[in-house]
Amino acid sequence: MLPLGKQVIVMDGGFGSELERAGLGDAVPEELNLTRPEAVRAIHAAYAEAGADIITANSFGLNRIKYRGRYALADLARAAAENARSAGKTVFFDVGPTGALLAPVGTLTFDEAYAAYAEVAELTRGLVDGYIVETFSDLYELKACVLALKEHADKPVFATATFDKTLRTLTGSTPEIVCELLEGLGVDALGVNCSLGPEELAPVVERLLSSTDLPVVVQPNRGLPKLVGGKTVYDLSEDEFALWTERFVHAGVSVIGGCCGTTPAFIRRIAAFKGRTVPPRAVQKKTAVTSQTRRVVMENVRICGERLNPTGKKALKEALMREDYGYLVAEALRQEDAGADLLDLNAGVPGIDEPAVMRRAVCAVQEYCELPLQIDSSDAAAIEAGVRYYNGVPLINSVNGEEEVMARIFPIAKKYGAVVLGLTMDGRGVPRTAQERFAIARRIVERAKAYGIPAHKVMIDTLVLTASAEQDLVSETVRALALVKTLGVATALGVSNVSFGLPARPLLNKTFLAMAMANGLDMPIMNPLDGEMTGAVYAYRVLAGIDRGAADYIGRYRDAAGAAVSAAPKRESASPAKDLYDCVRRGLREDAAAMTEAELAVRAPLEVVGDVLVKALEEVGALYEQGKLFLPQLIASAEAAKAAFAVVGTRLHKTDGGRGTVVLATVRGDVHDIGKNIVKVVTESHGFTVVDLGKDVPCERVVAAVQKERPLAVGLSALMTTTVKSMEQTIAALRAAGCTAAVFVGGAVLNRETARAIGADHYTANASEFVRVLEELAAKK
Amino acid sequence: MNSSALYDRACAYLGARGVPPEELLERVAPCMDEARSLARFRAAGRTYEAPLPFLQKEPYVSFLAGCAAYALVVMTLGGEIDRRIRALTVTDPSRAVVLDACASALVEEEGDEWEARFGAERTYRFCPGYGGSPVSDVAHIFRELRPERLGMQLLPSGLMAPQKSMAGVVGIGRRRERSCGACMLYEHCAARREGRVCYRSENK
Repeated sequence: MLPLGKQVIVMDGGFGSELERAGLGDAVPEELNLTRPEAVRAIHAAYAEAGADIITANSFGLNRIKYRGRYALADLARAAAENARSAGKTVFFDVGPTGALLAPVGTLTFDEAYAAYAEVAELTRGLVDGYIVETFSDLYELKACVLALKEHADKPVFATATFDKTLRTLTGSTPEIVCELLEGLGVDALGVNCSLGPEELAPVVERLLSSTDLPVVVQPNRGLPKLVGGKTVYDLSEDEFALWTERFVHAGVSVIGGCCGTTPAFIRRIAAFKGRTVPPRAVQKKTAVTSQTRRVVMENVRICGERLNPTGKKALKEALMREDYGYLVAEALRQEDAGADLLDLNAGVPGIDEPAVMRRAVCAVQEYCELPLQIDSSDAAAIEAGVRYYNGVPLINSVNGEEEVMARIFPIAKKYGAVVLGLTMDGRGVPRTAQERFAIARRIVERAKAYGIPAHKVMIDTLVLTASAEQDLVSETVRALALVKTLGVATALGVSNVSFGLPARPLLNKTFLAMAMANGLDMPIMNPLDGEMTGAVYAYRVLAGIDRGAADYIGRYRDAAGAAVSAAPKRESASPAKDLYDCVRRGLREDAAAMTEAELAVRAPLEVVGDVLVKALEEVGALYEQGKLFLPQLIASAEAAKAAFAVVGTRLHKTDGGRGTVVLATVRGDVHDIGKNIVKVVTESHGFTVVDLGKDVPCERVVAAVQKERPLAVGLSALMTTTVKSMEQTIAALRAAGCTAAVFVGGAVLNRETARAIGADHYTANASEFVRVLEELAAKK
Repeated sequence: MNSSALYDRACAYLGARGVPPEELLERVAPCMDEARSLARFRAAGRTYEAPLPFLQKEPYVSFLAGCAAYALVVMTLGGEIDRRIRALTVTDPSRAVVLDACASALVEEEGDEWEARFGAERTYRFCPGYGGSPVSDVAHIFRELRPERLGMQLLPSGLMAPQKSMAGVVGIGRRRERSCGACMLYEHCAARREGRVCYRSENK
C-alpha cells in the first residue's frame, strides 16, 4: 500500500523517448508489448531500478478508437500489464486520450468515448493496481474516461490533464475547472502531465495545489522541445529538473515523475525526494459550478437565469414537446447576453420522455452557451441523464427535507460531484418560521454529509411564498437566509415568486431582491432579461463593496439615461429607422417590431408583406448581387424582416401565412453550416417556414423529415468536394423514397453542372438567388 | 502582424472589392478584436528534403520545383472561436458571418507570420485542394505531424476540426506568391470572374 498523500511517491518517466533511444521509435509503441516484450521490460526495469514506486504500463494508446492495428486489444492490454508487472512494482495502466475530438467540434460521441474506456477497464480487470489517466486536453473526454473507469473498475484512478502556455487545456478549461471535475468524480489523485517543462508548469501546479485537497500529481516534460534538424529534442538538465521537482514537493505535490524526454536518470535524481512527508495544505473550498470554460463561485451574488423552465411558459412547453432545441439554445444565449451567470434547465412537460429530452437539451445548450447549468427536475432519472451528459460540474435542483427524496438524489450528486440545492420544506410543506426552515436546512446538510457530500457542495433555498397570500412569511424567508449562512452553505431563492397576484410585480420583485441580497442571498433565480432586476444585482455589488471602484457597474451603465435601464447591452449607435422599409433596408432589427406595428396601423397585414417587406428585401437583394451591399448587411436586413414577419404573422389568418415549408440540411460529413444558416435566415425572412436539420445530417434524417413535412423544397449544402458525394447519395435516397419536392443544392464547390450531374433540380449560388427561385416555385403551386 | 492586410482580407471574404467601404470596416473592427481574443493559434511543422510519396505528383511537383527543402505545416485557432460563431449564428447571424470571416483571415495571417521561421526565401502555403490536388492529401500531413496534440482532428469526411484549421506545404529556398491558377475554386470563383483576388494581402 503506497502512502498516497502522506509521503512523496515517485512514478516513472518518458516511455516514447526511451523507445526511440532503443531504436524502436518507428514502431507502434503498444504493439511492442507483444513483438518486443524484452525491450519494453528493460525500460520498466530501468525505471524500477532508478526508484520509481509505480510503473506505468506501455498502454497509452490502447483503446479501440485510437488503436487500429492488427493485434487484439485484449492481448496487447494483457501483455502491457504483464511487462510492467515484471519490474516488481505497483503497476498502473496508462490510459491516454482517444485522439478523436468529441462532438460538437469533432464527431466522437460521449457514449462512444465512454464505451472505449469501459472496455479498457474490463480488459484490465485483475491485471493492474490502478490507472493513470493522462495527457487529456478535453474536459468532456476526461469525464467520459474517469466515469468509465469508476464504473467498471475498482482500483485507484489518478488523472492528469495537459495545459498550454495560456494555462488552459486545449478546449479552454482552467486548472480550477479540471480540479472541480476530477474531485467531483472521485479520483484518488489529480494533476498535470506532459504539456510543458517544469518551469512553465509551475503556475499550473500552484493553482492545482490551491484548488484541491486531493494528492497532486506532476509529471512535466523535460523542458520545452526544440526542433533540431527536423527532430524534436529536449535539453533541460537533470539538475534543473530535480530542482523544480524539489520546489513542487516543497509546495505540497505528492506524486512526482516525468513525461516526454525524461529518462531513468531523471527519475533516479528525483527519487531522492521519495518518502518525504507531504506538507499539509489548507485549501479553502468554495461552492462552485462549472461549464467547460467557466467556473462560477457562489459568492458576490450570482444570477441564475430561470427562463428555461416551462412552468407557465407556453412557448417553451411547446418547444420541448416538439424537441425544438434551437428554441432552448436561443433562450439560453439571450440570458447569457443579458448577464446571467448560470442557467436553470428544466424539461418537465407531461407526456414526454423527460430523461431523454433532458439529455438532448443539456447537449444542445452546452454546444452553444458557455454558462454552467442547473439541472432541474423532480424526476431522478431526468436529473441523472442531465448531470451525466453535462460537460462540467452542474448544480442539481433539488432535494428537500424528505428522506426518500434525498435518498434518490444525493447518490447522483455524489457520483458526479454536482452541487445540490436543498429546499427547506418536507412532507408537511413549507414551515412558517425561519427557525423551522433552518432546522430542515441543517438536516439536509447533515444527511448530505452522510452521503459523502461536503457542505460546500450544498446550497439552500429558504423558499419564497407570495406576499399576496402569506405576507407575514416574506420576512421569515429573508431571516432564514441569514440563519442558513451559519451552516457554511450558499443560498438561493426563486425571487419572483414573491409578487404573484399583485400589480406592478417588477417593483415587488426588485425590492424583495434587495432585501434578500442584504441578508445573504448568493444566487437569485430570476429573469435576467428584466433589466431592473439584473441592474439591482449590479447596484448591490457596488453598495456592498464587492464591485471595487464600481468598475463593472460603470462599464455597464455608463450610457444609461436616468432611470431607464434596459436589459439589453447598449445598442449600436445608428440613427433610428424612418419607417419599416428603411428599417429592413438598413437591417435595424431592434426597431423592426415597433415599425411593423406602426405600419399595421395604416395597412392590411398582406400589404405590409407585399408592399413593404418584400420590396425592401428585393432592393437589398439587388444591391447585394451588384456588390453594393455585403453579406453581413444582407443578413441584418433578413433578420429585421424576420422580426417584422413575426409581428405580421400574429395578424394574419392561418390561410394567409405559411408560404410553404423548406427543409434545409448540411449533408453528412460536412460541418460547415454558415452558408446553410444564411439561407435559413433569408428564407424565413420571406415568410417561408424552415425546418433546419443542422449539419453532418445523414440521408435517412433528410428523407424522414421530407416525409413528415411534405415541403415545397429541400435545400442541401456542402462545402467540400468530398461531401458532394454525400449530397448525391442524399438526393438518390430522396428520389428512392418518392420525394417530389424540388431539391436545391448550394455551397462553395458546387456549380450548375455538378448540380445536374448529382441529380439536383436547382443550383443557386447564394441566399437571395435561392429565395428568388423558391418564390417562382411557390407562385406556380 | 499587418493589421490593415488582416482587415482587407476579412473584408474580401465578405465580398468587398478593392478598398473596403467604411460601413463594412465598422462591422469588421469589433469582430476582429473578438476574434483575436478568442483565437488560440497553435501550429506545428516539420522540414523535409526528400519528397514524401504523396508529393511526387502534380501539382506539388511543379509547386516545389526549385525548392531545396520543404515543410509540412498544420495550424488552428482552436475550438473556442467555433463555439462563439455558432452562438452568434443563433443570436446575431449578421455578426456571425463577420466573425467567421475575421477568424478565417486571422488563421491565414497568423499562419503566414508563423511560417517566417522557414526563412524569407519560401513559398506561400499550398494546401491540399489547391490546383486540383486532392483534399484527402491532408491525411498524409496528419500522419506525419500528428496534430492531435494541438487539438486538431481529421474527420471521417476529410474535413479538419476545429473549423479554423489549415494543413499545407511550404517550399523552402525559393520565393513564390499566390495566384488564382493554383486555387481549388479557379473555375467557379465569382471574384476572379469580376477581376479581383482574395489574397492581395499575402503578396506583400
